[in-house]
Amino acid sequence: MEITLLIFLSSGLFLGWSLGANDASNVFGTAVASRMIKFTTAAIICSVFVVLGAVISGAGAAHGLGKLGQLNALGGAFMAALSAALTVYAMTRASLPVSTTQAVVGAIIGWNWFSGSITDTAALTKILATWVACPLLGALFGAVIYKTMTYVIDRTRVHVLSLDSYTRLGLILAGAFGSYSLGANNIGNVMGVFVPSSPFTEVSIGGWVTLTSVQQLFFFGALAICVGVFTYSKRVMMTVGSGVVPLNPVGAWVVVISHSIVLFLFSSLTLEHFLASKGLPTIPLIPVSSSQAVIGAVIGIGLLKGGKAIRWRALGSIASGWVTTPIVASLICFVMLFVLQNVFNQVVYHKVYYELSEPAIAYLREGGMPPAGLASVAGERIEGGVAFRDRLRAQTELPRALEDKVIETARLFPMRITQEGVAQVDAAYIAPAQLEAVKALIGKTFHYRWQLQEALAALEPEWKLLPNTKVNKSLNKHLKEQLEYICSVFHVEQADPEAPPMSIRR
Amino acid sequence: MKTSKLALFSKTKTMEGLIDDFLDQVSNGGMKFEQGIATYIDSGAEGHCKDLVLQLRRIEGEGNRLRRTIEVQLHTEMLIPDLRGDVLSLMEDLNHLLGLAEDIFLAVTVECPAVEEPYQADFKLMTSHAVKTLEAAVLGARAFFRNLSAVHDHLNKVGFHEEEVDQIATRLKRAIFASDLGLADKMHLRYFVDKIDSLADEAEDVGDWLAIYSIKRSM
Repeated sequence: MEITLLIFLSSGLFLGWSLGANDASNVFGTAVASRMIKFTTAAIICSVFVVLGAVISGAGAAHGLGKLGQLNALGGAFMAALSAALTVYAMTRASLPVSTTQAVVGAIIGWNWFSGSITDTAALTKILATWVACPLLGALFGAVIYKTMTYVIDRTRVHVLSLDSYTRLGLILAGAFGSYSLGANNIGNVMGVFVPSSPFTEVSIGGWVTLTSVQQLFFFGALAICVGVFTYSKRVMMTVGSGVVPLNPVGAWVVVISHSIVLFLFSSLTLEHFLASKGLPTIPLIPVSSSQAVIGAVIGIGLLKGGKAIRWRALGSIASGWVTTPIVASLICFVMLFVLQNVFNQVVYHKVYYELSEPAIAYLREGGMPPAGLASVAGERIEGGVAFRDRLRAQTELPRALEDKVIETARLFPMRITQEGVAQVDAAYIAPAQLEAVKALIGKTFHYRWQLQEALAALEPEWKLLPNTKVNKSLNKHLKEQLEYICSVFHVEQADPEAPPMSIRR
Repeated sequence: MKTSKLALFSKTKTMEGLIDDFLDQVSNGGMKFEQGIATYIDSGAEGHCKDLVLQLRRIEGEGNRLRRTIEVQLHTEMLIPDLRGDVLSLMEDLNHLLGLAEDIFLAVTVECPAVEEPYQADFKLMTSHAVKTLEAAVLGARAFFRNLSAVHDHLNKVGFHEEEVDQIATRLKRAIFASDLGLADKMHLRYFVDKIDSLADEAEDVGDWLAIYSIKRSM
């Protein structure tokens, strides 16, 4: 294993450790703080299911590479992971539950800032929206479910000891399920960027279980999460479970269930697809954070009891932690990228070029884009998304959606379809008919992602995006992820910036 | 499926059974105490009264054993962490009532106070109300475990019967000290009136704590 890779890998493992130290509180915090489950028991259950989730269901993240996968150089990904991990670690030391995903997004914004890439404004809006929506939804569900539970317990006259057993079992099951999801959903952020350079080879255990190199890599990431759970998660658990409002065991269970329901209802594409396919009204999908949903549910129960028990000072610290996390992560990332690039001479980002070539303009025109104003930018190769956007804005004023479309279309992403690349494609992820279409393009080169997409769609209907309806939303999302995966497999180094403007004919 | 469900919750069911058994013992002890005082007044400390002392002692011993088992299991199995302290205090207090009833009855059979005919009815009535106070406290404790909203009704009865005991005790003491009995006999009877009254007072204290435990449980 290369020493550089090992060093880069360490930041992923550190992020995993921070994630374990912070996010385990969402699934077991209330159970441990209400003394229903011993910390050691909770840590063991959490660790086992985090590992299972990461190894069994985390493999899907290998194609998406997680949020850090948007970074195009390993050095940059290393620093973004390290910045996010440091921020989460600092918050964990202060016993504050924060969103690890928001720390990662914050670090990516720092990288975008440093590399001159465009920050997706939707990502920023999402963070701002979660600060408000998540606690509110958590509080609403927490209060409603708690009220329902007290009513049911009153009516059923269940014995205190039986109630204790059922609650304990409920907490263990919910915690195990939550831990599994934690491992499956977050391992992409922890280890995703290292997938292409995984040093492991496939191993078979006893001839009946085969662990791929990605699964082994994720296993080590999951172990880092487990170490975080065991060594440092107790403090955040106590903050979540008793720092804001002291909870009884039923309240502890209600919090875990409320946060799971909020996460499922407001982030499940599957549910939206199901409702739309049955002709039922869909629930609007909004970004959700589990830490914020948990704290919201705790507050909801506290308010239901009159609000006197709520420790507003502790709540204030937690809320300020949420605001600080992405900001601090982006600042740390920016400064450390500067140091890594200029002091240690490491590549922290690969230059990205934008060019509105003739085919790109034709493509935009086909999509209904008015050509006016684009001509002055046409044929010019510009380095960096922000520079291209500024040039575009200087020439013409476009609505935000159209501007995004132009920028996305103009982004150069050279790809060459080769026999070796086809051999690398994960046949379990890409349907046979889709793979045949890819094989038919062997030997061809593409300069833009949309060109490859069009070529594939022309060859095979399974590569064609469906009309943009609610029913098709999840299918299109999956198709886009597959396209992104194929693009990344066949990506070759960026074209020489000094080369003459391309004359790609469609 | 049924077997695994039973195995999963068997410890809980065993504990529930132990608590119910313990409360049964306290309730039985109260009834045996009432029966014993009535027997003593009607036929003296010999004969059946001695059997009743032995029976009450056995009940008290069984109550003690059950309380210890419950305490140990609640701690070792780490059950009801939020209510454990309250439940253990409740068990201790109820066990104390059982012990107190046994102590009073034993003292009666040992010291043999002379309960003359004019005071016998009031003595029996006061004992009956004191035992009802104890039983209402036991019912309140049962409700605490299964039906929290009913606790208040039982505690209301605890208060009612304790008030009755107080009134009868005052009436009895006035009658005793207004009589021609010797001072030693008067003091001796007053002592037992106060002892039976204390059983009702202690039961009322258990009720007061139970009210607090119920508020905590409902939060």
